[in-house]
Amino acid sequence: MGRIIRWWPLPVLILLLIYPWVYREPYFHVLGFNVLLFATMATSWNIMGGYTGYKSLGHSAFFGLGAYLVAIAANQLGWNPLWSSPILALVVTLVAFGLGWIMVRTSGSAFVIATIAMLLIFRLLALNLRGITNGAPGLSQPLPPWTPEFSRMPFYYYMLIWLIIAVATSAYIRHSRFGLGLLAMHDDEGKAEMVGVHTTLYKVLAFGVSAYFVGLGGGVWSYFSTHISPVFAFDIIVGVEMILMTMLGGLGTVWGPVLGAFIFIPASDLILFQFGSTTIHLAILGGLMIFILLFLPRGILPTISHWLEERRTPRTAHTGARSMAEMQDKRSAAVTSEIKPAGDYDPVIINNKQETL
Amino acid sequence: MTPLLHTENLVRRFGGITAVNDCSIIVEEGSITGLIGPNGSGKTTLFNLITSIYKPDSGNVYLRQKKITQVPSHQLCHQGLSRTFQITRLFWDLSVLENMIVPVRQVGFRSLLGPGMHRYEEVRALDLLERVGLEHLKNQPARKLSFGQQKLLEFAAILMSEPDLVLLDEPAGGVNPTMIRFIMDLIRSLNQEGVTFLVVEHNMSVVMELCDHILVLDQGQKIAEGPPHIIQSDPIVLEAYLGD
Amino acid sequence: MHLPSANVLIQVALVGLLTGGVYALMAAGLTLIFGVMRVINIAHGAFLVFSAYITYWLFTNYSLDPFLSVIVTVPLLFIIGIVIQHFMLSGVRNEPGLTVLLTFSLAIALEGIMGTLWQSTGRSIRTWYTSEVWQVNIGELTIRLPVVRIAGFMAAIIALVLLYLVLTRSDLGRAIRATIQNKDAAQLVGVNIAWVQALTFGIGLATVAAGGALFSLIWTFNAGSHEEWISKMLSVIVLGGMGSLPGAFIAALIMGLTESVAAVAMTSYISPIVFYLILFLTLIFRPQGLMGTVIREG
Repeated sequence: MGRIIRWWPLPVLILLLIYPWVYREPYFHVLGFNVLLFATMATSWNIMGGYTGYKSLGHSAFFGLGAYLVAIAANQLGWNPLWSSPILALVVTLVAFGLGWIMVRTSGSAFVIATIAMLLIFRLLALNLRGITNGAPGLSQPLPPWTPEFSRMPFYYYMLIWLIIAVATSAYIRHSRFGLGLLAMHDDEGKAEMVGVHTTLYKVLAFGVSAYFVGLGGGVWSYFSTHISPVFAFDIIVGVEMILMTMLGGLGTVWGPVLGAFIFIPASDLILFQFGSTTIHLAILGGLMIFILLFLPRGILPTISHWLEERRTPRTAHTGARSMAEMQDKRSAAVTSEIKPAGDYDPVIINNKQETL
Repeated sequence: MTPLLHTENLVRRFGGITAVNDCSIIVEEGSITGLIGPNGSGKTTLFNLITSIYKPDSGNVYLRQKKITQVPSHQLCHQGLSRTFQITRLFWDLSVLENMIVPVRQVGFRSLLGPGMHRYEEVRALDLLERVGLEHLKNQPARKLSFGQQKLLEFAAILMSEPDLVLLDEPAGGVNPTMIRFIMDLIRSLNQEGVTFLVVEHNMSVVMELCDHILVLDQGQKIAEGPPHIIQSDPIVLEAYLGD
Repeated sequence: MHLPSANVLIQVALVGLLTGGVYALMAAGLTLIFGVMRVINIAHGAFLVFSAYITYWLFTNYSLDPFLSVIVTVPLLFIIGIVIQHFMLSGVRNEPGLTVLLTFSLAIALEGIMGTLWQSTGRSIRTWYTSEVWQVNIGELTIRLPVVRIAGFMAAIIALVLLYLVLTRSDLGRAIRATIQNKDAAQLVGVNIAWVQALTFGIGLATVAAGGALFSLIWTFNAGSHEEWISKMLSVIVLGGMGSLPGAFIAALIMGLTESVAAVAMTSYISPIVFYLILFLTLIFRPQGLMGTVIREG
């Protein structure tokens, strides 16, 4: 049974693929796009906030940066956002590397506040560098070339592709040596440093990667919205929602942010629809966050997995360093491994099998 | 025998207190060197200075004659220097095996993106775990281990990076006599395989039996050094411990 | 950057200092809360606006002068503070990222509630004295200072002196200072940490209530203003050294002064950027600020 469950992404993927054809109204396409957009960005944020534990509250700085870069490129250079977004997101990543290198000297609360300051500085720059950004009124860009009846669908599928890539990246990192280092740092940074983990480099890398998909999301969003302005592009709430979704689904897990987005965005839309006022929405958002932080700090997925596994043998962080012998027990294959005395190791690949976990 | 590690006139103050005061010590390669002294004599501070947790106010640290003062801690690990902590530090949410895999001697960019654990790493880790008797706990989260098991894990894990010099901060602290014996045998056998040790320890019988050379610190300064039988009967040492 | 005349400069500098005094009162609670509990209360700005709204409500419905309405707002926020600390903050692991998120969520929730209750109209209190200006001529210089700012400064000083007296002369104050210095040691000598934390949070919010009264007279606000003000207050306490009351005071005066002078000497949009840049750079390069203890956290 476990074998079958392992393939669950496939039917879900099929459902996601046919969703826009089943639900034809533009409203559903917009909703779907938003879900996919935020799922992608939350997954990205989680790479820094969940794996390393450094929770950036100012990640919408990268969202806005991506949005503006793409909008400006569309207007000045005629670059179509669909292909310029992934490229300009690299610029965002470079900026994140630079800022990250400065900011990771701090720790804990200082880091969080610094990210807020960073966001506010970006917003002020966007408001005031009128020559480049057109200031408070914002920037418009050309409409997409496809016909109105399909207006939102291409965005939906485009974002779906990037969601898959983002999740794949997140999963890959988590099971790599890099990810192991990040999780170790999260546990005890000083100890990790002492056993040879280059903590500063790791943090900067994680920060930069975590900015990539957020910047990309910003770029796509700017095309989707056609018009962007500093207040909306650099809105702190966008970053907060990324955090909320990640925490809801499960901080530090691969699928947690995705689950969180799939739950939160439709629910949030429903609340907005129900009450019709953004201030009530804000109040509920705040209240929800408080609730999750107090009562469900681990998020849905880890709570479920913890509950399930307390009934079996307790497991741990499921990094790539899970014992292969343990996995091979399940396949009941006999592994003859040669255990050499300490101090005499060469990277011999035993049984000609190099397993990537 | 060449000095593997030596410090030169290390000074470190905390506000009005000089914890380490013009301290110059030598650790010979291949030795098991003890570092003793009454409480507050600066032993752990010295360790922290050597491993770049603290920055000295003056003075230097040398590894194989090369200055390592202020070299970032992770690089020290790459150069073959490892340490344990007085209060055991592990990655509590990671498994025993994962704890073993984290320490690295050499990591290049490509291996960063590589799999979480290579076959040869796992084999080496399991071998070390077996050596300390923890192999059966390899998938347990570190926080579920007993105190003694945690100490052993910390010790075993730092061996993964194949250090040349290991700084042990009270390896026998809070541990039962059988375990103490076990740890001493482990240190001795590793020493025979070429690992140099600098051991801070309060348990005198352990120090006298285990170490071939002893350094005595008092109030941040080295007040005596020599083989155990000399130190045992040195009046200066006795006075430092017993006071006036 | 064009330099205005000496007259304008001196006047602007004085107004800046007066404003700084009010900033100090607003930020005092924030730094105190951090000192005792290592919690960065992002909701401090929201509570500032909240007390301003209460003050405004009392003024428009009961004609209660803001300087007097503190009789209502200060105890009210004191109690709210104790309740929040006890029920919300005490049960949570004191992981720094976590408490920041929690207080941030509180701020957002408050913004939503206030916005629902009072809509987005900008509010401000206008009394008979709000447009009064006190003019003094010294030699060739003519200094004109808004009465409100002078009164605000004096009220802030009085409140801060009171706070200082409580901290240095009372048993509670001693317990608070002990907890700031070394929580574990304080506990060992019998200080009830849970109570100290709850009371400190209450005091913190009480000071911001007083600040809110002054705030409502000097500035215009709505539910969304809290974001701008928490950034200012954070800048003040980071610069002054988190946990240090004297540091916050000095930093607030500096902030008020530079903000005021920069506004006339440079184009006005630079000044908020300056705030955040100072905050940012201080956090990175000198996290202990001017007078605080080094933030040694995990």
